[in-house]
Amino acid sequence: MWSWIPGNASLIWQLTWENLKLGVLPALYGLVISLPLGIIAARWRWFYPPVLTVVNILYAVPSLALFVALIPKFGLTDTTVIIALTVFSLCVILPNVVAGLRGVPPAVTQAATAMGYGQLRRLAFVELPLAVPVIIAGLRVGVVSSISLASVGQLIGVSSLGYLFIDGLQRSFPTEIYVGIAGVIVLALVCDLILVAVRRSLTPWLART
Amino acid sequence: MITFEAVTKRYPDGTVAVDCLDLEVPAGQTVVLVGPSGCGKTTSLRMINRLVEPSAGTIRLDGTDIRTRNPAQLRRGIGYVIQQTGLFPHRTVEDNIATVPVLTGWPRKKARERARELLTLVGLGQELARRYPHQLSGGQQQRVGVARALAADPPVLLMDEPFSAVDPIVRASLQDQLLSLQAELHKAIVLVTHDIEEAIKVGDLVALFRPHGTLAQLAPPEELLAAPADDYVAGFVGFDRGIRRLSFVRASGLALGTGPVLPADATVAKALAAGEPWILITDPRAGTPRGWADAAKLTALPGDAPLGRAAAEPLGHTFTVGTDSLRAALDAAVLSPAGQAVGVDDDGRVLGVATFDRLRAAIQAADKSAGQAGAVDGQAGSRP
Repeated sequence: MWSWIPGNASLIWQLTWENLKLGVLPALYGLVISLPLGIIAARWRWFYPPVLTVVNILYAVPSLALFVALIPKFGLTDTTVIIALTVFSLCVILPNVVAGLRGVPPAVTQAATAMGYGQLRRLAFVELPLAVPVIIAGLRVGVVSSISLASVGQLIGVSSLGYLFIDGLQRSFPTEIYVGIAGVIVLALVCDLILVAVRRSLTPWLART
Repeated sequence: MITFEAVTKRYPDGTVAVDCLDLEVPAGQTVVLVGPSGCGKTTSLRMINRLVEPSAGTIRLDGTDIRTRNPAQLRRGIGYVIQQTGLFPHRTVEDNIATVPVLTGWPRKKARERARELLTLVGLGQELARRYPHQLSGGQQQRVGVARALAADPPVLLMDEPFSAVDPIVRASLQDQLLSLQAELHKAIVLVTHDIEEAIKVGDLVALFRPHGTLAQLAPPEELLAAPADDYVAGFVGFDRGIRRLSFVRASGLALGTGPVLPADATVAKALAAGEPWILITDPRAGTPRGWADAAKLTALPGDAPLGRAAAEPLGHTFTVGTDSLRAALDAAVLSPAGQAVGVDDDGRVLGVATFDRLRAAIQAADKSAGQAGAVDGQAGSRP
């Protein structure tokens, strides 16, 4: 029964690639939206609680329900899945952007100001670099959860490794199910390790952990 | 020069942090703002680089109202050192120090070269240049903080409790270093501390604040100790101000006796003939002190034996006549087994010894001159 794998290698690769896209793009979009929101929220404290409430409500919506809600506008396409997953990534990344920026020691920001940094330069050269570890921690959760949630997209016909376990279930063919699950886990793990490497290269000042 | 003209800081909730403060920080001098917490000393400091804006009054830097200056530009010309160092954790030591030069547009290479000069200036080795702040000890971090503040050679240096977070030994060495840096660089330094000892040690002028931001007294440290303006100041400077004040009186005025001083090759008989209860044995060639010998115990030795054979008790410590204070001399006497302070010259040669009687005479003479100064200031300070 393992001979199914080499016979379907090209299908597995294609699904893996699509799953990767559906996992990584939403996390990146989520990061791109979270950064400005997070910067504003860290700067003007009143802004954060309402935004956080909206974000948490969105996060509570079941993924399938969100897909269904988006279908009338975007159809049974990648776009629908990517938008939905972007919302979920945003929900996990935004709090980390805010926490990362707020976690910069006040003495450091005060010293930066006192040395003659303007607000933008301080943000770009002091606060954001120091927030990198916490932001990337959020990005890791965003990427991993998007990769795994992408399989749900299969239910509306957007292909991913999810195809393998749905097809395998319908045909009562366990090998295909195992390959699908293992594929998702390996993909998530690889992406996570890449992000750890990125974090390390961006934060040479942190002791290796 | 920094000038405060009737500067007040009132917060929206009505709290007055600084109340109509007039203060002048002359170029090249260290002015220490000291007082209990909540007395407005840190607020006053932060108004100089516009981290806090005054509610009323004017602060001038070399005659220019600082409100007319762009804050970021103003701050690049004012060094700033804080207790928690505020070093950038993500930058190496050299890049931390190079911060302001880079901000003002120096090429990075030149800025790093400057950073390395400053490392030496603050007494740190070049090998630390590439380390990150968390790899340094607290004292080293604080030195890097001082180096960073000095990097662009600003004429003004603000220091907010710079040495409060380190242990007493490191603190003393950082204070000594600040004194020697200042002797070389002649900045206008404003230093905030809650530690009156620190204020007295590093200040050319001490501004003692009352709670709620008014000045209790502005005076050189020796005057603050000799002639406190009122009970509040006297209480703040502490009950032992009488002894601490002696730090400002040179020991060179002390009359030294040489009666008990004898070289180790003199005979025991000669030592006993001196009629002193204790004999200070010195090195016959170098003239340096070896120790005190109890005359009562010398009688056990034959009269023609050299003094070097006598058991000598350790000195405690000596004081250097040309440079040390009367306080150091008094301390030397207290710690000496003979109850006498040993005065040496710069090469460590014994010049003579001072008994408590001689010390008391010197202290009384100092009191007399301080008393005259105090009478004048007492009138100025007795204003309600």
